[in-house]
Amino acid sequence: MNRRLYAKRKGFNALFLTLSVLAAVFGLVWLALILGELCYNGFSSLSVRLFTEMTPTSGAEGGLLNAIVGSLMMSAIAVAAGTPLGLMAGTYLAEYGRHTRLAFLVRFVNDILLSAPSIVTGLFIYEIVVTKMGHFSGWAGAAALTVIVIPVVVRTTENMLLLVPNGLREAAAALGAPRSSVIRAVTWRAARAGILTGVLLAIARISGETAPLLFTALNNQFWSTNLNAPIASLPYVIYYFAMSADEGWHRLAWAGALLITATVLSLSIIARILESSKRS
Amino acid sequence: MDAPVQDKVKVDIRNLSFYYGTSQALKSITLPLLDRKVTAFIGPSGCGKSTLLRVMNRIYELYPRQRAEGEVMLDGENILDSGQDINLLRSRVGMVFQKPTPFPMTIYDNIAFGIKLYERMPRSELDGRIEVALQRAALWGEVKNKLRESGLSLSGGQQQRLCIARTVATKPEIILLDEPCSAPDPISTAKIEELIDELSNEYTIVIVTHNMQQASRTSDYTAFMYLGELVEYGPTEKIFTAPDNKRTEQYITGRFG
Repeated sequence: MNRRLYAKRKGFNALFLTLSVLAAVFGLVWLALILGELCYNGFSSLSVRLFTEMTPTSGAEGGLLNAIVGSLMMSAIAVAAGTPLGLMAGTYLAEYGRHTRLAFLVRFVNDILLSAPSIVTGLFIYEIVVTKMGHFSGWAGAAALTVIVIPVVVRTTENMLLLVPNGLREAAAALGAPRSSVIRAVTWRAARAGILTGVLLAIARISGETAPLLFTALNNQFWSTNLNAPIASLPYVIYYFAMSADEGWHRLAWAGALLITATVLSLSIIARILESSKRS
Repeated sequence: MDAPVQDKVKVDIRNLSFYYGTSQALKSITLPLLDRKVTAFIGPSGCGKSTLLRVMNRIYELYPRQRAEGEVMLDGENILDSGQDINLLRSRVGMVFQKPTPFPMTIYDNIAFGIKLYERMPRSELDGRIEVALQRAALWGEVKNKLRESGLSLSGGQQQRLCIARTVATKPEIILLDEPCSAPDPISTAKIEELIDELSNEYTIVIVTHNMQQASRTSDYTAFMYLGELVEYGPTEKIFTAPDNKRTEQYITGRFG
């Protein structure tokens, strides 16, 4: 054994390990700082009024109720519309199309959609919905969020279905089950936890999106559940309030940011739990 | 007892060739499968015995670039005809796979799934069918109190018997068994072999196996395959005691394969 070579390897390993750990710590420190700042400012701004009062005018007291409800409504519509579409498209890719030219094309376009900047999505919906309707609206906001949900669900559905062993498909087909029964009764069920995880991640993704709402749903300072009119949303309110000089607005922005972060965090944790329960 | 009758041919395989893409896996196989008899396919790995089994319910068609040529006559009808309804064919020709494949649903639903595909019946009748199927697969005693539990909660051997119960429950005419005992424990294996024996009174059974003892114990006829060709076919007793072909003898006595 060449001792010097071995010592050199060991030295190099120590150096490499140190650099890796430092890089990891560097990344985590920023995350911790962000979360710390957010919790410090967010928790001190939390109050029941957030959930009972509307966004105030500058200098006045108020809450975030209209923004929370607006966000919930638009997200719910986006998920309700995007999930079935994404599920069916993902199913086509994994079960029917798999090796076809069309599937290849759809997969490619979906990947582009998945990584497209969300401001582009917002612009697109502005062009085809807002300008046609002549005004900003909750529907336009929901449409923009739907366009973001679909590719996420398509991708996770396809990936999760591809993980289902072919033996299961063969076994169901061997009983004389037509393709659609095999999919509905067996492969969807086998991939259920994974597909649900994808939907949760899509919700997490859209709950923080501001760009697609900027010129679609815009904002509304008052209570409104009318989707044909501009409607408030948490990300927009945070963006708007944080840029102002008003101290009260700042605190509401922090509280809103904390709400969104807590939502996304819990969705991610639930998704993780679902995924690990599927494996065991 | 019944008067001896001439064995009827259930499936007549004629000049069957099979291709995975461009590579030929079966070379012009001609072979009868007799009604209500157990036929064993034996041969070394890669000889085409599983492939031959997978032609008989056309399960290979789930994959692109796999194709069969020739004729497989089931009760006088060529199942390879493009006009054949493939799902109906599969409801007549059941299959149990090497690895247990319970569906991610309850034990009850695992069996009900297959029945409900082609039959409508009141709940009480369905319950009865499921009980009978589980009894036939020698699993009823072990699961009767947990029919609502997931099929995945069973042991490997139990899962395989569940798959057999599922296949039997749909009342096929032919049952294809692709190395059904490569995973289960010895007790499950014994139960499955007993079951094959019992089922052969009603069904035409084909079993692919690597286990010579199993082939000789369970089958009436044996086909020995090698490199995609049928080397020898005949009554099991004859194949195992006085085979005509030298290769068959060498394989059976464990000198190659």
